[in-house]
Amino acid sequence: MSRKKDEDSDELGALMNLDHSVVLQEARVFNETPVRPRHSRLLLAKILFLLYRGDTMSTAEATNLFFSITKLFQCTDMSLRQMVYLTIRELSTISEDVIMVTSSLMKDMQPNSEITYRANAMRALCKIIEPSMLPGIERFLKSAIVEKTPSIASAALVSSLHLFGEAKDVVRRWGNEVSEALGGKAVAQGSSFFGGSASQRQVASTSNIVQYHALGLLYAIRQHDRVAVLKLVQSLSGQGGRGGGWMGGGGGGGSALRSNAAQVMLVRYAVRVMENDPGLTAQLHALLEEWLKHRSDMVSLEAARAVCQLGSATGGQVAAAVGALQVFLSSPRAAVRFAAIRTLNALARTQAAAVAPCNVDMEGLITDSNRSVATFAITTLLKTGNEASVERLMKQMQGFMSEISDEFKIVVAEAVRSLCAKFPSKHGLFLGFLAGVLRDEGGFEFKRAAIEAVMDLARQGGESREAALAQLCEFIEDCEFSKLSVRVLHFLGDEGPATARPSVYIRHIYNRVVLENAVVRAAAVSALAKFGAAPRADAALQRSVRVLLTRCLDDRDDEVRDRAAWALRMTAADATRAKYVRDDSTFSLPVLERRLVEYCADAGAAARGRFSFGAVPRVSRAQEADARQRERLDAMDAVLTGSAVSAGPAAPATASAAAAAAEPATFSAAAPLYAAQLAAIPALAALGAQPLVSSARAVALTEAETEYVVRCVKHVYEHHVVFQFDVTNTIAEQVLEQVEVAMEPADDDAAAALRPVVAVPIPELRFDAPASAYVAFERVDPAVVPVAAFACTLRFVVKECDPATGAPEDGDDGFEDEYSLEPADVGAADFMEPAYLPDAAAGLWDALGADSEAVETFALASFDSIEDCLARVCELLAMSPADPAALKPRSKAAHQAVFTGKWLGRARTVARTRMTYQKGSGVTMELAVRSEDADASEAVVGAIA
Amino acid sequence: MASILKAILDWLRSLFWAEEMELTLVGLQNSGKTTLVNVIASGQFMEDMIPTVGFNMRKVTKGNVTMKLWDIGGQPRFRSMWERYCRGVHAIVFVIDAADHGKLDQARAELWSLLEKPQLGNIPVLVLGNKNDLDEALTVDQLIEAMNLQAITSREVACYSISAKNQINIDLTLKWLIKHSSTPTSLML
Repeated sequence: MSRKKDEDSDELGALMNLDHSVVLQEARVFNETPVRPRHSRLLLAKILFLLYRGDTMSTAEATNLFFSITKLFQCTDMSLRQMVYLTIRELSTISEDVIMVTSSLMKDMQPNSEITYRANAMRALCKIIEPSMLPGIERFLKSAIVEKTPSIASAALVSSLHLFGEAKDVVRRWGNEVSEALGGKAVAQGSSFFGGSASQRQVASTSNIVQYHALGLLYAIRQHDRVAVLKLVQSLSGQGGRGGGWMGGGGGGGSALRSNAAQVMLVRYAVRVMENDPGLTAQLHALLEEWLKHRSDMVSLEAARAVCQLGSATGGQVAAAVGALQVFLSSPRAAVRFAAIRTLNALARTQAAAVAPCNVDMEGLITDSNRSVATFAITTLLKTGNEASVERLMKQMQGFMSEISDEFKIVVAEAVRSLCAKFPSKHGLFLGFLAGVLRDEGGFEFKRAAIEAVMDLARQGGESREAALAQLCEFIEDCEFSKLSVRVLHFLGDEGPATARPSVYIRHIYNRVVLENAVVRAAAVSALAKFGAAPRADAALQRSVRVLLTRCLDDRDDEVRDRAAWALRMTAADATRAKYVRDDSTFSLPVLERRLVEYCADAGAAARGRFSFGAVPRVSRAQEADARQRERLDAMDAVLTGSAVSAGPAAPATASAAAAAAEPATFSAAAPLYAAQLAAIPALAALGAQPLVSSARAVALTEAETEYVVRCVKHVYEHHVVFQFDVTNTIAEQVLEQVEVAMEPADDDAAAALRPVVAVPIPELRFDAPASAYVAFERVDPAVVPVAAFACTLRFVVKECDPATGAPEDGDDGFEDEYSLEPADVGAADFMEPAYLPDAAAGLWDALGADSEAVETFALASFDSIEDCLARVCELLAMSPADPAALKPRSKAAHQAVFTGKWLGRARTVARTRMTYQKGSGVTMELAVRSEDADASEAVVGAIA
Repeated sequence: MASILKAILDWLRSLFWAEEMELTLVGLQNSGKTTLVNVIASGQFMEDMIPTVGFNMRKVTKGNVTMKLWDIGGQPRFRSMWERYCRGVHAIVFVIDAADHGKLDQARAELWSLLEKPQLGNIPVLVLGNKNDLDEALTVDQLIEAMNLQAITSREVACYSISAKNQINIDLTLKWLIKHSSTPTSLML
């Protein structure tokens, strides 16, 4: 026995040192007569090992090898032939002329050859066959699919699935056979159809993997047919069994799935059906609940995961899923525990309370021998736990931080970060923990997550602020990552000056200037400059900072010297300090990037003038931080749900659409995108280089779940208004042509104010490929802001098409059809670009002067709270709040908010609202608007009326 | 009794004198290569074969000789690969549809380009004019003329007119092939 082991390890060692060229040399053995099966087999194994190891083989080498291997077809040794099939499959993508073995493989897959030959030949054949030759073997594959031997049926099904990508039409014809394989002939109903059902039952019950493969293929064939997928789910789950005559051969009725893997797939398909068709949610939820109780843990876990990830699940349904997961937490198998805790962890992110019932079980898992399970348990507990338990958990965590991988350390750091926000009274505790992990060894990503958490603590203020900053200072004293040092220095520059004793931080920062590399030194100089420029900086402090900066002028590095010189200049006078160092606004970075790219791409731009920063909207730092925060959360969610049930192609699209709709109209990152789209259409490019204002939000003109989904975006030009209609065709069997939107003015005023100029239709609209139609109007009197509503109708020509290719069927002339939409309107809000303007409430307000002011008082009896009213006003004005916090009124009786924007993308406009609320009479609001364009003030006030 | 003895003798002889030979069948598509292999292997004629995509490998035992037959597809895309399968075989069998006058020129060109390959020097060639059951089929002499076989001097060449369908001259073909089983190519001069 021991000797055998030694041989094995020798063999393995030999494989590890395999040399590519030596093996290829040896391959000459294949050409020898007579064939040496054992030797050849070993050599094939070596070749496969090389390929699996990732060695690259040139086409010429592979082709030579391939032809040598074809010589082995003269030997009928079964084990050799198996290796030949495997090697051919691997070489099929590298070698030329692999088509050469087609006939041989076809012969081997014939019903009269050995079972082992047949299954393997089929799998190899699907890799090398050309789609044009598929009809030649169709007959054999079809009969193999319904073959009673599982290995052959599985091979045929899997091969068909591979072929489906290239020859959809042919494979689609095999639907009945696949249904038959899926239905499983073991069902008693089948006995009248199939002669030898007794023996079939025996075989089918021992291996159910065929069902899994059949279900996968059947779904692939029918995935674009929503009704068919629904029926598939219903009939296999037993729901639709009563009317289950839809499957060709008729294996249907009753819950026929005996394979757990197939059952898991069914759960996923059910979720996809739900996502596509919310009307069926209730019905399918019932199914999911049934599956929760499935005897197989795999199915039960999948169902629980699906329920937890579905947005539509009710509290009771989630509770049932959590209940099922709770049981799995005590499973003896680590994989099951891991799956359960991972699902709970993801759920805790959104619904921490729902997971709380498992707290006791999860605490037991903290000491789990599997570290991954333990880490997930802790982070989940941190999310669900209360103040009392947090302390205990943190202690336990500290115990094993050194034992887990960096990846999990990051998860822990992120969890602590979210806890900081939740339990402000425990900040000291968290800081202690983070300080500990920062001192330990760790990779860049982990350290970054940890310092981000510390920074969050510092930002949230309170008593731990100074401690957190001190922690950061300590961290940069001994930090191996320059990037992190820079990040921390920047942060210290932002936060340090506002503390009681800025000089402490200055000492730490200056130490960096003395000890670090150029990149860090430059960052340290910038941070010093911020201390010197801080409004609270007293004369003594300013003087010392200037002394330090002056010393930096002798630095070895250009960048450091430049920054020091700049800082010295800027901190000298208060005016420049305020302007450059303490600026509270920043450019909208996506727009800035886009404009710069455009500028660089346009060869003539440099000749015409310098890049204009005026065209780039500004946002406040707070808003920018908000946007970043949102991005971060999105990214984290994406990481967590990346492998989720809802990974279907439709899901991300709807998710992003929802995100876009939910985004407040603060600053529009979509605008540059629109500009590019519009510029690409000659008829519209003539109206102007780019629209002055594009609406930040698309307005839906249809319900979300209809045949055609239309959303409207408005673009305002100097003399024109363009309506952009984003149309999505949700019917797979249809292609729409000549899609346009007909707009009828609702009244004479509208007709008088706007004159139609041009309409751009969508030539062809395929399934699930949104495109845009445009209608442009000329503003008759550019001085007047048109307020108009239009009745809209979608007009198009419908043609039938093949859902797989999307190509319209030949000879189908189609028929004209129309579809009514919600009315579209245009008003003052569409002329306003939401833009953050610094210092709006005081300085800018005064600078704009009372001349341009328009004031009006409104009695808005229909609102019963200031919050509702504020939301509505926000929507009507389409302006950016000067302070996002002002959108959440603190008092119920009275509130003030300031909004800013640019009229027609140019004229700076500030709106001040004062609201009071009295029970009974509703909200009374005073709106005062000042603008660089006096007309704008009137129009904005008019927008509310 | 005598027959049993004879069978035992045959068996013993096959143990000691069993011979193995390798043959490659090439020729334009639809000339009847696969059909011929089937006739040799099973003695039965089957019509309406699908074109060979790539190659077929058959082992046939006649008497004490085991023949390995590489039957290579004749479509243009496979012709460049004929040579690979002809290397080192005991004999090359070139099958021609003797009734298809339009393709004779093409067949001659392919035959000659194959024989020009240096790697295949000295390998005996058997040219078979198949389908002589059809009225318009060429005779042996016409075929030799059409293929310009008399110009081949450096190797052994034979030419028969056969019919796989009516099994005409199949025995002759086999006899020629078996005769060459014991002749190692390298020793032929």
